[in-house]
Amino acid sequence: MQCLVRNVCRAGSRGAAARLLELAAAGPGATQPSVAVKLLRPPYEFTRPIGVVQPVRVQSRAVSRDGLVPAAATSGFGLCAQVIVAMRGLSTVGSAAEVASDSDDSTSPAVEHPPRIKFKRPDKTARHIMNILNKEAVEKVRSEREIPDVQPGCIIQMRLQVPENKRRESTLKGIVIGRRNAGINTTFRLRRLVAGVGVESVFPLYSPNIKEIKVLDRKKVRRAKLYYLRDRMNALRK
Amino acid sequence: MAAFLRSKCSPVGRTLMGSLGNSLFGAANSSVGAITRPSHCDAISQQIRTFIQMRTNLKVVDNSGAKRVMCIQSLRGKKGARLGDMIIGSVKEAQPRGKVKKGDVVYGVVVRAAMKKGRSDGSEVQFDDNAVVLVNKKGELIGTRVFGPVPHELRKKKHLKILALAEHIV
Repeated sequence: MQCLVRNVCRAGSRGAAARLLELAAAGPGATQPSVAVKLLRPPYEFTRPIGVVQPVRVQSRAVSRDGLVPAAATSGFGLCAQVIVAMRGLSTVGSAAEVASDSDDSTSPAVEHPPRIKFKRPDKTARHIMNILNKEAVEKVRSEREIPDVQPGCIIQMRLQVPENKRRESTLKGIVIGRRNAGINTTFRLRRLVAGVGVESVFPLYSPNIKEIKVLDRKKVRRAKLYYLRDRMNALRK
Repeated sequence: MAAFLRSKCSPVGRTLMGSLGNSLFGAANSSVGAITRPSHCDAISQQIRTFIQMRTNLKVVDNSGAKRVMCIQSLRGKKGARLGDMIIGSVKEAQPRGKVKKGDVVYGVVVRAAMKKGRSDGSEVQFDDNAVVLVNKKGELIGTRVFGPVPHELRKKKHLKILALAEHIV
């Protein structure tokens, strides 16, 4: 019987399942076999006859701590347990005539479902929050110091403070051959020649170690990543 | 094939990199030097940017007498050596009257590596070539000069003599 109720719920007629539970919870005098059959009839064509619904009385043996009042009478959980156990006690015994008599009336009343609460996916919510935090952090850094629009093809000169190298400031000059946009973690790739050897460095654009960025020149490029300069820079060696 | 070589020889990169020299304010002379010098015409394959492992050829950037060393053993980790690690190598090319000769098995410190190395401040550094400075078993330098740039990560690795002799520290 529990399987049948589950099937009714799955089929979408929630009202029928609810009424079936009400019938199960009610006393033995309130049973109406034809109604129960009528409720279960429309979604399915049962070959097996379904008959009188006979609820079984369940005596709750749970006792509260003081031993005076049964726990089922005081708590909602006890009532719920009673209904579930009563539902398990339902039997499907009857004649095929009852099923045949109600075959013509196959319309179940329309039931209004309560509106579903739509829960947002937590990963989407977290991503949204992170985007907001990213924007705030970027705006904060931009308000503190001026950061130019560094794009591939820009020849820039920057003052960099190296924390590992005794906090000395070094001046670097090179061409930007790539940029990766990631909010506060935006980085750019700087390529330069040092004593005839090509050196590529990746720096976070909003790093506190970068004291100043100055754009000296902007070359016209048609690529987002200028990796072909790794081969072409040999002509610039001193 | 001819078209491919022609595209390699074209001065596209030269115009883009014209105002970029080694010195900060020597833009004019560096661009003139770039134009007068003949371009690198052979088809170059880009440097393989991975660990320095067995049979990796490295450039020797000191005046010990060796020119090229082939790695025969990495003394750090399973995969291979990186920037600042020690290796054992065999001298493949050497100058005539140097301190080491061809075929010698030598120790070396990797001072430049094509594989990128992350730094604690969030930046990364990678070089165009793999280079080594020859040392003895104790870690003392065989040569007396170090050419080209070296990274300041060598300070952590306790190779302070190399940093003291280096031309540029990046």
